[in-house]
Amino acid sequence: MTNESFENLILELRRGVIVLAVLSQLDKEQYGYSLINSLKEHGLEIDQGTLYPLLRRLESQGLLQSNWRIEADRPRRYYLLSNEGRQLLPRLKEEWKTIVSIMEKML
Amino acid sequence: MSTNLIDSYVADIGRRLPRKTRADIEAEIRSILQDMLDECSQKTSKPVDDEMTFEVLKAYGDPEKVAATYLGDRYLIGPSLYPIFWLVLRIVLVVTGVLAAIGLGIALSQTVTNPQGAIEAILLAVGKFATSTMTILGNIVLIFAILEWSLFRSGGKVEVKGLPVKEEWDPHSLTKVSAPNQVKMAETIVETVGCFAAIVIFNFYPQIIGFTPSLNSVFVNGNWSTVAFIPLLSDAFFKYVPFLTFVWVATILLNIVLLRMGHWTLIARINSIGLKGISVLIAAAMLAGPSLIATTSPALVSALGDPNAAGFLMTMLTQGIRLALWVGIIGGCIDIIRVIYRTVTDSQ
Repeated sequence: MTNESFENLILELRRGVIVLAVLSQLDKEQYGYSLINSLKEHGLEIDQGTLYPLLRRLESQGLLQSNWRIEADRPRRYYLLSNEGRQLLPRLKEEWKTIVSIMEKML
Repeated sequence: MSTNLIDSYVADIGRRLPRKTRADIEAEIRSILQDMLDECSQKTSKPVDDEMTFEVLKAYGDPEKVAATYLGDRYLIGPSLYPIFWLVLRIVLVVTGVLAAIGLGIALSQTVTNPQGAIEAILLAVGKFATSTMTILGNIVLIFAILEWSLFRSGGKVEVKGLPVKEEWDPHSLTKVSAPNQVKMAETIVETVGCFAAIVIFNFYPQIIGFTPSLNSVFVNGNWSTVAFIPLLSDAFFKYVPFLTFVWVATILLNIVLLRMGHWTLIARINSIGLKGISVLIAAAMLAGPSLIATTSPALVSALGDPNAAGFLMTMLTQGIRLALWVGIIGGCIDIIRVIYRTVTDSQ
């Protein structure tokens, strides 16, 4: 298998995890760039081109809410879990634990 | 300078985005780039300059790719409509090919004694076939692109207020022969394409409805000779075109609604009955009104040079159109009865 194929498989594997990772970090308000850094601190590096469209998609699905604020003379868009997102997150965490448990038995 | 670079970069992304979300995405990207520049400046303990801006923009990526991440998958003709598009395309191309072959056969039969004329006739027929095929292809793609846009612009989900959401797919549908209230997708799309073609031809290209006793231009005795084009339909016919266009447009709209719903409803059936009723009335008015044929026997004799052939052709045209109208009226009435029967049985 080529390195490129391996990279693609890793990307596929991470894609599903990213949504949960992002939602888990937005129980308090964050703007996009601070969110990227916050995820990086936890060891999860996300490409900008993946994160920002994802944030917009989650917002359009009603899981996030956002607002623009001027900070340090610069407009920034802050994202936060919506009520719907807050209700959904614990269920997603449970689902994640189940998946991990199943996969640990399998691998 | 670095601000200009960011402006250009953001504008390059923005022009690839839908107008509706463009300003918002542009503002967000601009804000992110400023954050990246700040971080870079702090890390290197240098002020922001062009070189640093170039590095940040390079890290953010090609504007085309950045814009693509916001757009998702977009189709001119998507996977839902593609099988029907392909079916319609094959049918239409076969019919066009057969018609072109018949036309070529007639043209060749009239140039039996003139081999040079036959070659010219073949070249002309091939040219005409290529042109008409391209026109037909373009129109079919246009129709399907409009259908794709109107049916699936919300990512495959129907989200138009007032229209029911398409039912969830049920594997049991694989075993069903054909539910009476289920919309026959292929038939409906073929009818939509037909209506669109009729609107285009009768409203924008009425001059092509007619015939020539030979090709429009033939090579006779070493010179090009133009043969008169005989229009088929009279002014009396074209007085009905606005009414017919109304029926065709309404049929297209009804078909789009039916395709989105996937099944017939009472309102859709009532509309269908109404449209068929109007079509029958128009056909009856055409039958009772003045002649729909533009040409006359003397004109045909003059064009064909053979009184017997001209008389035969005139009879065929007159009776053919009357027969077509009768078939339309009877077929329309049968359709109306069938739809009423379905409506009554569905409500029981």
